Amino acid sequence: MKKLLLIATVFASLVACKSDQKEENDQSSGVKLGGQKTSASKADLKASMERGEEVYTSLCVACHMGNGQGVKGAFPPLDGSNWLTEKRAESIHSVKYGQQGEIVVNGETYNGVMAPLGLSDQEVADVLNYVMNSWSNTQDKMVTVEEVKAVTK
Amino acid sequence: MRFFLLIVSAAVLLSCRSEHKDPNDGLALDSGTTSSYRIETVVPELNNPWGMTWLPDGAMLITEKSGELIHFKDGKKTQIKDTPDIYVRGQGGFLDVVLHPNYKTNGWIYFTHASSEGGGEGGNTKLIRAKLDGDRLTNIESLYKATPNTTKGQHFGSRIAFDKEGYLYFSVGDRGNRDVNPQDIGRDGGKIYRLHDDGRIPADNPFVGVSGAKEAVYSYGHRNPQGMDLHPITGEIWTHEHGPKGGDEVNIIKKGANYGWPVISYGVNYSGTSFTDLTEKEGMEQPVHYWVPSIAPCGMAFVTGDKFPAWKNQLLVGSLKFNYVELLKLDGNKVVGREKIADGIGRVRNVRVGPNGYIYIALEGQGIVRLLPN
Repeated sequence: MKKLLLIATVFASLVACKSDQKEENDQSSGVKLGGQKTSASKADLKASMERGEEVYTSLCVACHMGNGQGVKGAFPPLDGSNWLTEKRAESIHSVKYGQQGEIVVNGETYNGVMAPLGLSDQEVADVLNYVMNSWSNTQDKMVTVEEVKAVTK
Repeated sequence: MRFFLLIVSAAVLLSCRSEHKDPNDGLALDSGTTSSYRIETVVPELNNPWGMTWLPDGAMLITEKSGELIHFKDGKKTQIKDTPDIYVRGQGGFLDVVLHPNYKTNGWIYFTHASSEGGGEGGNTKLIRAKLDGDRLTNIESLYKATPNTTKGQHFGSRIAFDKEGYLYFSVGDRGNRDVNPQDIGRDGGKIYRLHDDGRIPADNPFVGVSGAKEAVYSYGHRNPQGMDLHPITGEIWTHEHGPKGGDEVNIIKKGANYGWPVISYGVNYSGTSFTDLTEKEGMEQPVHYWVPSIAPCGMAFVTGDKFPAWKNQLLVGSLKFNYVELLKLDGNKVVGREKIADGIGRVRNVRVGPNGYIYIALEGQGIVRLLPN
């Protein structure tokens, strides 16, 4: 028990150190114009992901599951999906207008139907930002409303 | 001590096992069929045919979730005009369609759909009735609108059925508000409702006169019922509902009964975490059957007519998730067997038996097919 406490304490202090460091870095880079932009877009992404999570738990989770793994043979995975990284426009299109017909995700063929979800452009961007930055997923470029608007039927 | 614990937990496990039914009632899904059939396309090229019914002249009425009402006769589709405004979001849209049992004399057609009527952003499930005049919907009457509106995209229900005495039943799902709606009879959502055919609340509904209650409620504690039918012999209303991850259920609807969601469930959260340790509790109904894992049931029909004698009075349930129709073989109210029908057919949104006795299956992204006996 003592040992565990010790480990936990050490770990906590390490984490604290790390976050201190991060803040410092942010502060120093905040002096530059570019740095400010970065931290602003970080906050934007965080807010978008939070809204997106709500959309996800309301509309997506029943098929794609809480861990983004989908259901083998029925609903393609989102976690680690090559679609999200390689087919950005198609990904936006499918969330905006629904998806039907044969697609190959991570080498596996799916031939299902995702009915149009009735989301606003903002919600499409939000849920994609959530999905693209959850589980093992990361994306450098945030999905914006403008980008969603530009994807047409 | 440790040994004692082990014995206790083993005993608990064993007692659980004997008290609780095994998943799927311990019944294997049989892919060999007891009736030989072939499949033919009836209505091609539909997007999401949610509800379907038949007019006396054999024409079909089909709701598309996206908001259209389609009349189909002799291979020709006609889009019906003057349909109500539909709130289309997530699982919400144009939902079920059912004829009045005396349609031939009164012409009433009943629909459920998601609607943004009333205050607040979003929508909730609404029951209406209307008449068909040529290619137009007329005499639209609002019979019930669930409140409040919400932008949540899930769990609108909804199916409609009449019983032999002419009462109308319809379902509304919990609208994504699991911990608030289903167990509160003062709120809509997670309920089966019972009304007279004109929308009046029957005087003997279970919560009439109960302070603060929604008096149209007939049973509660439901999650998202998307299947409902009248048992052809007992005259009872049967429903099924989606569980979360596991825990889809078939229930027989009893007056004033609590079906337990989310206090008891055979399912877990989508994330795999547990939201309840209970699968049964006094005062809460046990399902007739439950599925683990979920099959995502949608559409339900008892086999009637004389086209499939081996399946007569047994229960058909569509599976959205695994692309087949499940035949639950019944002995009285007990499920004694499970059979896989139309395996690999597609995402089953609805299953009905037509007036001609053929089994009709509505498929997302495809259309409507039917089974004919060989």
